[in-house]
Amino acid sequence: MDFLIGIYEWLPVWIQSILRIVVIMAPLMVLVAYYTYAERKIIGYMQIRLGPNRVGPKGWLQPIADAFKLMFKEIVLPTHADKTLFLIAPLLSIGPALAAWAVFPFDTGLVLSNINAGLLYLLAMTSIGVYGVIIAGWASNSKYAFLGAIRSAAQIVSYEIAMGFALVGVLVAAGSLNLGQIVEGQSGGFWHWYWLPLLPLFVIYFISGVAETNRSPFDVAEGESEIVAGFHVDYSGMAFAVFFLAEYANMILISALTALMFLGGWLSPFQGTFMESWFAWVPGIVWLVAKTFVFMFLFLWFRATFPRYRYDQIMRLGWKVFIPITIVWIIVAGAMQVYDIGPWYQ
Amino acid sequence: MKTVIHYIRSLFLLELFKGMSVTGRYLFRKKFTLNYPEEKAPVSPRFRGLHAQRRYPNGEERCIACKLCEAVCPANAITIEAAPREDGSRRTTRYDIDLFKCIFCGFCEESCPVDAIVETRLYEYHFEDTDKAAGNYIMTKEKLLAMGDKYEAQLAEDRAAQAKYR
Amino acid sequence: MSDQQTITIEVDGKKLEATPGQMLIEVTDAAGITVPRFCYHKKLSVAANCRMCLVEVENAPKPLPACATPVADGMKAWTCSPLARQAQKGTMEFLLINHPLDCPICDQGGECELQDVAMGFGGGLSRFVEGKRAVKSEDIGPLIATDMTRCIHCTRCVRFGDEIAGVREMGATGRGEHMKIGVYVEHAVASELSGNIIDLCPVGALTSKPFRYQARAWELTTHDSIAAHDGVGSNIHVHVRNHQVMRVVPKDNEAVNETWLSDRDRFSYQALYSEDRLEKPLMRKNGGLAPVEWQEALLEAATVLKGADADRLGALASPSATLEELHLLRRLLAGLGSNNMDTRLGQGDFRSADPAVPWLGQKFAEVENNQAVLLIGSWLRKDQPLLNHRVRKAALAGGKVMAINPLDYDFNFTLDSKVVCAPSAMAQALAGVAAALGADTCGLPAEAVSQQKAMAANLKNAEQGLVLLGSVAQSHPDFCLLRRLAANIAEAAGVSLGFVGDGANSTGAAMLAARAETGLSVEGMLEQGLDACLLLNVEPEYDSAHPQAMNALLGKAKVVALVTHLSPWLEAQADIVLPIAAFLETAGSLVNIQGDIQSFNGTARPVGEARPAWKVLRVLGNLADIEGFDYESVTDVLDEVMKVLTDVHPDNQMPQADAPEARLADSDLQRIGGTPLYHTDMLVRRAQALQHTPDAWKACLLVNPELAQALGLEDGDSVVLRQDSGELTLPLGVDERVPGNCVWMPTGVPGSELLGKGFGAVSLEKA
Repeated sequence: MDFLIGIYEWLPVWIQSILRIVVIMAPLMVLVAYYTYAERKIIGYMQIRLGPNRVGPKGWLQPIADAFKLMFKEIVLPTHADKTLFLIAPLLSIGPALAAWAVFPFDTGLVLSNINAGLLYLLAMTSIGVYGVIIAGWASNSKYAFLGAIRSAAQIVSYEIAMGFALVGVLVAAGSLNLGQIVEGQSGGFWHWYWLPLLPLFVIYFISGVAETNRSPFDVAEGESEIVAGFHVDYSGMAFAVFFLAEYANMILISALTALMFLGGWLSPFQGTFMESWFAWVPGIVWLVAKTFVFMFLFLWFRATFPRYRYDQIMRLGWKVFIPITIVWIIVAGAMQVYDIGPWYQ
Repeated sequence: MKTVIHYIRSLFLLELFKGMSVTGRYLFRKKFTLNYPEEKAPVSPRFRGLHAQRRYPNGEERCIACKLCEAVCPANAITIEAAPREDGSRRTTRYDIDLFKCIFCGFCEESCPVDAIVETRLYEYHFEDTDKAAGNYIMTKEKLLAMGDKYEAQLAEDRAAQAKYR
Repeated sequence: MSDQQTITIEVDGKKLEATPGQMLIEVTDAAGITVPRFCYHKKLSVAANCRMCLVEVENAPKPLPACATPVADGMKAWTCSPLARQAQKGTMEFLLINHPLDCPICDQGGECELQDVAMGFGGGLSRFVEGKRAVKSEDIGPLIATDMTRCIHCTRCVRFGDEIAGVREMGATGRGEHMKIGVYVEHAVASELSGNIIDLCPVGALTSKPFRYQARAWELTTHDSIAAHDGVGSNIHVHVRNHQVMRVVPKDNEAVNETWLSDRDRFSYQALYSEDRLEKPLMRKNGGLAPVEWQEALLEAATVLKGADADRLGALASPSATLEELHLLRRLLAGLGSNNMDTRLGQGDFRSADPAVPWLGQKFAEVENNQAVLLIGSWLRKDQPLLNHRVRKAALAGGKVMAINPLDYDFNFTLDSKVVCAPSAMAQALAGVAAALGADTCGLPAEAVSQQKAMAANLKNAEQGLVLLGSVAQSHPDFCLLRRLAANIAEAAGVSLGFVGDGANSTGAAMLAARAETGLSVEGMLEQGLDACLLLNVEPEYDSAHPQAMNALLGKAKVVALVTHLSPWLEAQADIVLPIAAFLETAGSLVNIQGDIQSFNGTARPVGEARPAWKVLRVLGNLADIEGFDYESVTDVLDEVMKVLTDVHPDNQMPQADAPEARLADSDLQRIGGTPLYHTDMLVRRAQALQHTPDAWKACLLVNPELAQALGLEDGDSVVLRQDSGELTLPLGVDERVPGNCVWMPTGVPGSELLGKGFGAVSLEKA
């Protein structure tokens, strides 16, 4: 082990960076692949069917088969499309989804880039993703894609605000923009995590996250029944796969951020109880991954349960429900902070 | 008061949780899926699968070219041409069922006065070539009679089982 | 009608007007009240044996048959009261007792009166569990298929034979359970109207044999058309399936064909799909005819026609061609500078001018009222079956029908008197009648014998009468003389003169010809010869009155033929053959011999690449750069025809003092021509079923038994007939109908093309 660390330290810095990126990206990509498998399986089960079970034992190789299929499919360039933008759009979509992970702390000090304005960076990255969607819709030069892009843009912009306000609540509570410090601020066990004092913000953050990623029941940007598949209707092969990857990477990111911000990140849920010592051996990252999985499962559960919102309902929910609630709760959180109410704000 | 209750209910997302509890329960239900090629669903004696034409036990084809099936067919899938055979009996010279047009409603079978055109239990078939000129999607008289000869035992048994309901 | 008293009866609570003597069913039919029936038919006598039309009548103890209950003033009847319904239901049950349940294999299924009435008036169940009877079917010829087990003994067919066809061929034998309808002699149904019993039969006992098992009633679409084989112009319904003519049935038209149709009109459709039907244009290449594209054939045809010397360019058209076709053909020729066009292929004599527009001289309905009819050279029964039916009605009503024929043709009514003489003696016989009437005998020695005097007296005494020149007279070499004499007789007796013409549009052709420049007649063209000859639906070897001369003409000329079928002569001599649509496949108009212009539309898709003749002629006109050939539809052509025909009416007037000498000399042995009914045109000759009927010509030479004995020949001997330069070997037949010193060898039949004109001196010897 020491030998490996020695080799690592001997390497030039840029190779070190690449290696670190690979260490984050590789598991993430595998996770995305199996997330799609899990989605099909879980939704299938909820609909009392079996889901994919033909490729490999119990269908385990299904995502690999899908990946191969997509790789070998032709990327069709529509005749009247803007060729450059058409190809740039998927990259613009996946780039921010992956770049966000740069400031994500997996454990104490285990972060690619520990910056103080991590929260702002995250907000920026998750918002930039919408450009990929808009450009894809515009470059396709097709009415369905264009409609999908407009819907998507309006929806993301709307929920960005609620999401931002929810995070304002978090940073009010934590008093820091550094993600590591936000987690540290929650230390003290299950009841000290921000989910409880910031419960409305927690719920709104996650729901806005669902809306941000254009997932069911907020998936009007795809809306296959009315606009076929929305912004990516003209994409095929790998170009489509990249959009697909970006969507799932974003879902994982939102899940991980929710876990980080409201469920205490890598902190053990048993902190401060008699069971703390029993689980002391468990690395923090396991808790983080477990919490992330809970939210990832919720994404799928939502999709299996709820019918798609009507577009005006989405807008009403974002503007007339979420934003007022978050504003109110920021004031509440601020008051709690100023007057040291409850066990959380010392 | 009502509005207040409604507000509280929607604020706490009660109905959404109710919905999620349903899907959550179903997650653990026993699944209905049949693994098709290995497992197969039971087939009713009234199943309306691929068509066949039957013969009498002495080998004489049943069809007498009355054209009732052609007339009753809602999809106009049946084309019949008739002429006297050498022995003077009324027979078809052409009996085509266009399987692209056929909707498997079974009216032909119901209308047949001599139980000649029937639908077998067979639902596993395919066309090798969808080219119009190849005509593989046409069940010709020869193909229909061959089907009938192949499945006669099953067909006779099914008809006998259903006789009292017809 | 004003003097006829009307009475009022009440049916189902409705007041109806009726005339005394009417049957109840006639009144209900006129009022649109449905009464079920099987045996009743408006054109047949009342039999009242099916009992289906039972209705309740006030004060009658039992239900009465509506078809046999005369109306009375103040009568009250109920057609669907419980009593009537019960009676009808009971009758239906009895009728169905012995009727087999074989509707699925019965051709009548779907258009069956028994099915319909059983549906409407019968019960749902049969209580009859005993065995049904079966009746052996008889073969009654190639036209009608029989399944006598299905017969319900309505006796419509029997009454039709008695009353309409005039031949007692079918009858009922046995009683009760053993009653059978059948023919007395196998294969005996030889009436030229026999097909009508198919329509009359309310069940599937009598069905059409050529149509057997071909189609179901519900698959057929009905189109109206006009039959194009005789001058009657019967109205027909054409039943089409999948763009093919499946059968032809009559359409009611009291003024033309009533409800009947002759077998020739009914079954000739078969020829549309005969094996030798032309499907592609043909052109002579390397000596043989080879299929080519339309473009090439039309260009070549136009070149041939334009290249010919106008004086030596001619056209021969079928007398059954439509007005539109004839008009376009005439315009095409006129555009090329020629007026040599004729349709009178079968006419034997052109020495004097024809009447302006020869026609029947009377309307069909008037024919029934004639008190005297003189048929000259006409086997009217076979030539114009439905016109003959009108004459028969006149005869049954007491009219005196007389005939001067070269052969003792059989009629389905009794002739008052007849002269059967050798063709060369016909003029003399007519002159006798003329003399008896004090008319001009055209220089023939005029001494009337008593029979001729009687004929003259009949005509003279008739308030309304008709002297009718038949097709045999028309093909006679002294037709002009016969015509003149007939006209003289008609004038002197004060009766009408009529022509039956040949083909379906001879009157129309004459109407068009009356408005055109006069060019060469058929005879003129045959004498002069042509450089280029256009044939419109003509089969030269059989349609021409003088086949040998026609052969010579075609041999020298470039021949462009617009035909439906390819005949051997055309195959040998035509340079360009263009396939045209046959009459059921094209639209057009025909003028029948009573002068009605009847238009019709195409009913079926032309076979192969065949195109309607008017379109072919239009394109030829365009290719020949003739002005005004831009017709878009057949109605454009008809509009133009109607303009041309303004003020042209049928007119039998002919120039006076044109009596040519008799040229048919009395020789040792004379040929008797005439065309048998199933050889009159290209289509009929190819209608398979008709060719197997007893009326089809049996290949034999008929002579009188005395002549056979004198020549030392016996029935069935193979003999050689020589005429002009041609000879023909056929078996000999002995028939008493043939006058002495005559041989009956018709024209238009296989073999006749080897000989000369239909009438003339011949020699006969043992082969």
